[in-house]
Amino acid sequence: MSAMSPTTPRFKQNVREALANRNIQAALGNAQAGFVAKRAAARAALPEFDDIRDAARDLKNHVLANLADYLERYEEKVTAAGGHVHWAETAGDAQRIVLDICRKAGAKTVNKGKSMISEECGINDFLEEHGVRAQETDLGEYIIQLRHEAPSHIIAPAIHVTVPEVEAEFRKAHTHLDPGRNLSEKAGLMAEARSVLREKYFAAEVGITGANMLIAETGQSVIVTNEGNGDLSQSLPRVHIVMASLEKIVPTLEDAATVLRVLARSATGQEITVYTTFSSGPRREGDPDGPEEYHVILLDNGRTNMLGTEFQEMLRCIRCGACMNHCPVYQSVGGHAYGWVYPGPMGAVLTPSLIGVEKGGQLPNASTFCGRCEAVCPMRIPLPKMMRHWREREFEKNLTPSAARCGLAAWRIVATRPWAYRLMTAAAARVLRIAAMGKGRLASLPMGRGWTDYRNFPAPQGRTFQSQWRGEQ
Amino acid sequence: MSAREAILSRIRRASGAADPQAVAARLAGGQKAPVPAQGRAEGEARVAQFIAKARAADATVSRLASADDLPGALADELRARNLPAAIRTGADPLFDRDWGGIERSIGTGRLEEPATLSRAQMAMAETGTLLLASGPDNPVTLTFLGETHFVVLAAKDIHAGFEDMWAAWRARGLDPRTVNLVTGPSRSADIGQTLQLGAHGPVALHVFVVG
Repeated sequence: MSAMSPTTPRFKQNVREALANRNIQAALGNAQAGFVAKRAAARAALPEFDDIRDAARDLKNHVLANLADYLERYEEKVTAAGGHVHWAETAGDAQRIVLDICRKAGAKTVNKGKSMISEECGINDFLEEHGVRAQETDLGEYIIQLRHEAPSHIIAPAIHVTVPEVEAEFRKAHTHLDPGRNLSEKAGLMAEARSVLREKYFAAEVGITGANMLIAETGQSVIVTNEGNGDLSQSLPRVHIVMASLEKIVPTLEDAATVLRVLARSATGQEITVYTTFSSGPRREGDPDGPEEYHVILLDNGRTNMLGTEFQEMLRCIRCGACMNHCPVYQSVGGHAYGWVYPGPMGAVLTPSLIGVEKGGQLPNASTFCGRCEAVCPMRIPLPKMMRHWREREFEKNLTPSAARCGLAAWRIVATRPWAYRLMTAAAARVLRIAAMGKGRLASLPMGRGWTDYRNFPAPQGRTFQSQWRGEQ
Repeated sequence: MSAREAILSRIRRASGAADPQAVAARLAGGQKAPVPAQGRAEGEARVAQFIAKARAADATVSRLASADDLPGALADELRARNLPAAIRTGADPLFDRDWGGIERSIGTGRLEEPATLSRAQMAMAETGTLLLASGPDNPVTLTFLGETHFVVLAAKDIHAGFEDMWAAWRARGLDPRTVNLVTGPSRSADIGQTLQLGAHGPVALHVFVVG
């Protein structure tokens, strides 16, 4: 999979492979429980959490209603600080802008802090094709770069990689080190990555980071990290490039604080990440370090087409990952199955918007509509509602497979005729109850193997809901 | 039409009439968001909260009566951590003092930096967070390249939360290239989903609160 050739159209095959992959299943099992418990604890420790979520939602709605004005104001401030703003309509435009800056800087190596926008634009492969080495420095991104993989989670990109796999990868890549060294401890692996990457920081001519926010008031870009790699990537090279999508704007420092108060708590359960860095322009006169050039690439890539549509609210997303951490589908299949850059519920909504419903239309079907994603979203994005909109569009465009269309047509006949519905559900409840033979669950169902291959089917316990309701009345 | 014009006109077409007055009011600070109670501590409780929160984020903290105590306190810390008696700092006048047996060098961060010392402009008790600003006397790389990073902070510069810290920040009228909010030493959970300190930045962070 790469950013330019998503495997999203073969989503079902991806899912089967993920379900059969023991490493993925083991890693997901460990990780999800941690994320969910940590977010819950962080939320419980901040009584004002939900009020701040409301304020964060309102703030982004205000920005989206006035986006052009804020972008102009932001650009003005960046320029005044001596920085350059580049507007990119597409991922391809962003690629060319990055390459152009690298060529002018005579860059052989580019160091990268973590950036989902650079993943979206496929920057690494593009630069490599043009003779520039793109070096990932986030520990997780470094591991998956060695494995030639894409991230499987937006904030924990190597969540699917086991410790022995990391060790094997390091032994293969770090051939200059003693082959007999002990790498059995996680601490040893971390120390090795730290020292290998430390040297690379000093070699690169250009550093690329993403941006969690762009502040219109000050012209600053903001990154939120725990490792410090994004800071070394922007402080040591001569040129700093920020890659950001244009909806990342917030008006003021106080608005940034509102977002920060919900971001880390929703993502990792931290009150705040270790580093929150505000950058503007190149180094000032007399500064002993920092970049001499500062560029911001503002990427559209389909986002402005979401404005004014039923998908506009998706542009409030701050990429915390809470929706995927709490999603039963993501928890079962992991991020790679989604086949492109953004997995989980936010990916199920964003992917069809950005690469088209023809390629990404299967993702919104991968939902149980349990609603946990919306319940935990710090920006209160109605993800299930938007997935439903995509399902409708997929159906309208005749992209839904014929078996599903026939099933839906049959369902319509039954669901719009109460007598038929009553008859069928009563018969089904009786048959399933008898078939369960008092166990309360079914291990296999004819025509229902898609369900029972992976979990038991709960058998109806008594009468149908409708007949119970009539009894109550 | 340039990409800029195309993007801006698409936005204006899609979102309809903007509200320039609302934008101006918001940029002028007209919008108040909820400030959590943990961002409103006062007096000595504020200093105590800062210290507790910084420690919760795995920093270590000690309190000095005056900046004159710095060389002695730093020497003790270096010795206790089994570090060489050497420190890398910026040119900040605060550090122009007799360092006794500690070898002080001035400059930016290098590949190997066992211990660095910086000055925090401010801090906030809300999350135990330091604010460091880059400048001629304050190299930003010292914050990230030191294996152990020492930071000096005046107790009077500890604010309650983001709101009063930003207000004080604007009042100072600084416009540095980089503002670093730092909460504890660097860390990563990317290997085996186990949190480990010392990813690319410091393995340890120690704060001297002065006053």
